[in-house]
Amino acid sequence: MRRTRHGNSKGLGRVAGFALLGLLTLGVHAESLAQEETEPSAEREQEISFISDDGTGMRIARTPSAGPTGEWWLPALDFANSRYSQLDQVSKENVQNLEVVTTWSTGINHGHEGQPLVVGNTMYVVTPFPNYLLAFDMTKPGYALKWKFEPHPDPTAVGKACCDLVNRGAAYADGKVIYNTLDNHVVAVNAETGELAWMTKVGSADEGETMTMAPIIVKDKVLVGNSGGELGVRGWLKALDLQTGEVQWIAYNTGPDEETLMTSPDFKPYYAKDQGEDLGVKSWPPEQWKLGGSTVWGWVSYDPELDLIYYGTGNPGVWNPDLRPGANKWSLSIIARDPETGQARWAYQLVPHDAWDYDEIMENILVDMPWKGEMRKLLIHPGRTGFMYVLDRETGELLSADKYHPHTNWASGYDLDTGLPKVNEAKRTHMGQETYDICPSSTGAKEVFPSAISPRTGLVYIPAHNYCMNFQGIEANYIAGTPYLGADTMMYPGPGGYLGELIAWDVVNGKKAWGIKEQYPLQGGVLATSGDVIFYGTTDGWFKAADATNGEVLWKFKVSSGIVGNPMTYIGPDGRQYIAIYAGIGGWIGSNAFEKISADDPTAALGTTGAAANLKKVTARGSDVYVFALPEE
Amino acid sequence: MKSPVILTSFLLALPLTGGAQQEAEPAPAGALPGEISQSEAIGTQPGPDRTLPKTQNPYGMDSNALAEGRRLFVWYNCYGCHGGRGGGGMGPSLRDATWLYGFSDQAIFNSIADGRRYGMPAWGTKLPAEQIWKITAYIKSMGTEFEPKAPPPNPVYPEPPPRRDIPRQQERKGAD
Repeated sequence: MRRTRHGNSKGLGRVAGFALLGLLTLGVHAESLAQEETEPSAEREQEISFISDDGTGMRIARTPSAGPTGEWWLPALDFANSRYSQLDQVSKENVQNLEVVTTWSTGINHGHEGQPLVVGNTMYVVTPFPNYLLAFDMTKPGYALKWKFEPHPDPTAVGKACCDLVNRGAAYADGKVIYNTLDNHVVAVNAETGELAWMTKVGSADEGETMTMAPIIVKDKVLVGNSGGELGVRGWLKALDLQTGEVQWIAYNTGPDEETLMTSPDFKPYYAKDQGEDLGVKSWPPEQWKLGGSTVWGWVSYDPELDLIYYGTGNPGVWNPDLRPGANKWSLSIIARDPETGQARWAYQLVPHDAWDYDEIMENILVDMPWKGEMRKLLIHPGRTGFMYVLDRETGELLSADKYHPHTNWASGYDLDTGLPKVNEAKRTHMGQETYDICPSSTGAKEVFPSAISPRTGLVYIPAHNYCMNFQGIEANYIAGTPYLGADTMMYPGPGGYLGELIAWDVVNGKKAWGIKEQYPLQGGVLATSGDVIFYGTTDGWFKAADATNGEVLWKFKVSSGIVGNPMTYIGPDGRQYIAIYAGIGGWIGSNAFEKISADDPTAALGTTGAAANLKKVTARGSDVYVFALPEE
Repeated sequence: MKSPVILTSFLLALPLTGGAQQEAEPAPAGALPGEISQSEAIGTQPGPDRTLPKTQNPYGMDSNALAEGRRLFVWYNCYGCHGGRGGGGMGPSLRDATWLYGFSDQAIFNSIADGRRYGMPAWGTKLPAEQIWKITAYIKSMGTEFEPKAPPPNPVYPEPPPRRDIPRQQERKGAD
């Protein structure tokens, strides 16, 4: 029935390996459709194919459980978090002809982060709190609503969410659409009927926990993490059984090795600084690890060959660094774990003893590519810190850390022998004294909004922004369920007269290839396609397409509200390529467009109002799904 | 002094219990099941219009109370949700003209003491009334000449940009 979709994609064979991949994917899809009822998904996982490019030598692993080409089953399209689509009907030659096919209001005027899923002929949209799941029938003109699932989350969670009531999307596997609600429930919904399959409570809003991240599903495990690093919660990643929703393992990111699941003999951190017993306790003042943040509110990646999952952790609790002497592990770390047991394989703390609230929950992009003459398995992590981290994902070795944000001044660079940053002590924040002009601000050189990579260009496309800050540590008082900051912060525009930049980063050479400067910050994700087009949105509501090779903006369209979502693409039931994006300002910086924030207090919205009060002048709340395509021939 | 809620409830209670009341004494509030809240009404009052005395904040704009209110606002983490100077964030701004649950002294006191639906904790279960009144006073002072620790001006990145950048750029120009 859906074969026409793939048949229509022209020029798939342009890149070596694509034709083969297309066949492989088709074959696998047909097989998996036939065997879906009987064959456990774990076995299908073994069939790995690769998207590769001879020119750059880059390759990205794809597995059948990430869905067939032309659909979108996982938050980032694939386990590698590439956000690279092989679809090429829309190319840099014709992208200027894109037009709106349909729009839908979800009715929820909060930040629309994340992206829709496309499974078969249905599009799935998760809204911000109250976290509806909408299913649209793509075969009907204008995408008729099939059903709406309402989980009725506890409104108490609204007041515990640091940065608007966002949700970063769902994942699909085994006939279920699975996502997290703000009040800490993981819900699995029957993708056909919209009925609840299971619901599991995994956290406590009363204690300050919320959930905003998008799960991924690895074999029979649903992987989810918590938010709440601003409220003194203890960060974790949990694995739930895909069939029942039962919690299979819990990996805390602070505390004793038994609870951080770092007891396996295979746990081998690469650097001496990260080796030792119970570092999740010993690198904190007594008991402070229990309030130590290090949450998992970003993206989780999976390498099916190495059979390892990867994720980054958030800021340590409390923000004021003088109240928590020590390295504060495992905050601001990248951790590799066995998805079956949760046991850690390696961990690397990017920044010991954070003094700037640099959550490192960013996407970890997994590609294989030539690195200094040798094919390496890379993990690419565009850091909030302004550094582009490139690691060997087998060992956790830091291969390079170059500044991609030019004004980064909290550290001058990294010592690759020790894995430690060379911190500029003049920019280290302390209690009772104001530290001025730290770049980037806590909101980072980029936020949680994900980058994309293209094997055709070898470039990573980073949605960056340009803010600096003043930061003063103040007294802190832990009261469960209230913010635990101990900091007075003010963020403001960095030098250069621009607030956002789409940075195309040359991974191998460790330098910027080109950038597209934007007047307003980039707070949405990027999509790259084999049509050599990249898509991204701006907070003032422009949805843009640019040439992936040189950054020339080829097309733009003004949507109803600022964009904080991630573009995605798919093949519709008619065999045509479509591109979808949310319009709905919100999130941390984006919430400054809301009427509830007063522009005359630069310390409002956790210190971002001084940076973004001007958003009110260019955008307002929205809640729309936009779908674009080329005109029908 | 009685709040409008109690008066209204009292009137409603009469038809239910009046027939059984032989004595002249008014029906106790307990004639209806459950506790009657001391809260000031957020909604409008049904029935004829009448002006009722409002509870005034005992501290008014006393500068010592305002300074103490500011200190408590930080100490109890109010600033984390409502902004460093009350401009909002996770919770709504307290500096603007919008009051979701009323702007009288008593209404603000009650919002703090009773908590509100979308995550505002009920501080009355933990704090003495005197501290809640001081925080109320501080909130009422926001944007007025009495406000302690008013919002600082919006910082700007110092110009010229960091010194090290300038010679480097000039060198490069010279080399070209």
